Amino acid sequence: MSFYPYTDNGGSALAIAGEDYCLLASDTRQSGEDYKIHAGYVPKAFKLTDSCVYAGVGFSADGVALVKRVRQSIEWYRHAHEKTMSTPALAQMIATVLYSKRFFPYYVGTILGGLDENGRGVVYSFDPVGSFEAELHKAVGSGAELIQPFLDNQVNLKFLPEVERTPLPLDVALQIAKDAFTSAAERDTKTGDYLEIFIIDREGVNVERFDLKRD
Amino acid sequence: MFLTRSEYDRGVNTFSPEGRLFQVEYAIEAIKLGSTAVGIQTSEGVVLAVEKRVTSPLLVSSSIEKIMEIDRHLGCAMSGLTPDSRTLIDHARTQSQNHEFTYNEKIKVESVAQAVCDLALRFGEGADGEESTMSRPFGVALLIAGIDEKGPQLFHTDPSGTYVQYDAKAIGSGSEGAQTELQEEYHKSLTLQSAETLSLKVLKQVMEEKLNNTNVELAAVTPEHGFKIYSEADLQTVIERL
Amino acid sequence: MSSEIDEYNGGSVLAMLGKNCVAIASDKRFGMKLMTLGTEFPKIFQATDKIYIAMAGLATDIQTLSELIRYKINMYKLREEREIEPTTLAYMVASTLYERRFSPYYVSPLIAGLDKNNKPYICNMDLIGCVTTTNDFVVGGAADDCLLGTCEALYEPDLEPEDLFETISQSLISAVDRNAASGWGAVVHVLTPERVITRTLKTRQD
Repeated sequence: MSFYPYTDNGGSALAIAGEDYCLLASDTRQSGEDYKIHAGYVPKAFKLTDSCVYAGVGFSADGVALVKRVRQSIEWYRHAHEKTMSTPALAQMIATVLYSKRFFPYYVGTILGGLDENGRGVVYSFDPVGSFEAELHKAVGSGAELIQPFLDNQVNLKFLPEVERTPLPLDVALQIAKDAFTSAAERDTKTGDYLEIFIIDREGVNVERFDLKRD
Repeated sequence: MFLTRSEYDRGVNTFSPEGRLFQVEYAIEAIKLGSTAVGIQTSEGVVLAVEKRVTSPLLVSSSIEKIMEIDRHLGCAMSGLTPDSRTLIDHARTQSQNHEFTYNEKIKVESVAQAVCDLALRFGEGADGEESTMSRPFGVALLIAGIDEKGPQLFHTDPSGTYVQYDAKAIGSGSEGAQTELQEEYHKSLTLQSAETLSLKVLKQVMEEKLNNTNVELAAVTPEHGFKIYSEADLQTVIERL
Repeated sequence: MSSEIDEYNGGSVLAMLGKNCVAIASDKRFGMKLMTLGTEFPKIFQATDKIYIAMAGLATDIQTLSELIRYKINMYKLREEREIEPTTLAYMVASTLYERRFSPYYVSPLIAGLDKNNKPYICNMDLIGCVTTTNDFVVGGAADDCLLGTCEALYEPDLEPEDLFETISQSLISAVDRNAASGWGAVVHVLTPERVITRTLKTRQD
């Protein structure tokens, strides 16, 4: 058996951008190969600044290494420019960090949830080599295929053309996130145990924890 | 100072017993030989003006460039050994581009001043492993003008690697007189237009030649147009206001 | 499945159980890998007045198998002199599939219907005839994971025919819109003891 530098640790994360808030949710299960569950509580979402939260799914070790590097860059930036990095700046910076390892990538699906300079909710999603896009809602990870169409359906009511679109209230967004994860935990073996939801608003970042299926 | 020449004059990184770096001090002196440059910050933008020494009627005056663009929101005027400024400005441009590439945002004016000063100190023998690009201090001072989230700003950098922010600053041979004049005339509510005229008025007073649209260079950084060097025609209209 | 061949032509199918009714739906795309060739490709076939069978997978196998099943249903009707029941049909399809255990038809069949007592029934099976009967919903095809996600979140038990129609439609549209191999409109049949409601849906055309 030759050494393979990557493992798929599974797990899912989603983010929803609201008018003046952003919500980022991820499960805490860490899976291994062959249906193994390594641990039930290994968070994959991390607060980066007072207005930005990161989640990395895929190869857990790379996700953690990436956060470490990004956090260091944020600190360097703070010292050099005497300000906290904005969420859009962070997104671009993470993209360059990911691309800098184009030929030995960080094996992670990354999403950022936060507020932009104007206090509006923003979501950025990245592929492992730094291709990124700003979105209003996004799911990544092992349960992404299950969650994404559900978000499309619920967040902007895309398939109900006759409804009037009003900004999504936070409590509704929270409920959508919880429903998405209960559903994903039902059908995706790599998603489960606990759910962590980060809520980012003008006041800062708050975390809430919920139970998910543990089987 | 020049009377106490000693062996400490030679090593660029050697302190004298009084705690001075002579070569750095001499480099600062070199600026005082350079042509005068003026920068004025207003709430509407920053103006940069320099005197061009057209030493011969055969000299193509437009080939003298003493104001340069660093980025769309950053400009720079210089005095002293202008060739030295190439290296510094090149560095500033690289840093500015690099910042935009990495963060998708415009670099702050202060950060550019800091970047220039980082390089300004990188002379002499490089410390272990580090390549040094310059064997002596850079003999040039810069007036860095720009606009960022904090608004229009003007910074002055010198060969010692010090940078300071100014409302209005003059450098070069006529700087003493010019600075006094600026101090008298400057006020916080200056418009960009009055800053244009003030900068030329100040230059006019310290220049030996009669000021015209070929022996001065004028530029501004504004929120609307970013960094722009004035054409001869635009310059003429400002001169006519004097 | 998820090899190569089962997603060669694309397409997705879905069935749901309601209160005294069932719904079955499919998209209408027919393609070759990323190229769309047809936008009116039927994937749902009427077995009896009260039973529909849907198939996703390799188009040639869908057509061949659907004809074979039609032949067998007709033979059953002639021999038995009665309509086939949903469970009977399910095991008939399953055994037909298992006959080709080592060179299978690349299909994901679903069966939805009402039995002689008008009790609703749905099931799906794998390509070699392993039947799974559920009491909520069954999915198949290229967008199966997407469908599983939407159904799991949107489905609730004991829906009336109109509500069941809305639920199955929303689930299908949301899922196929995130799957390049499925879409180009959809067909939904809601089977009630009284009648069959058939409607076509518009989805994104790309």
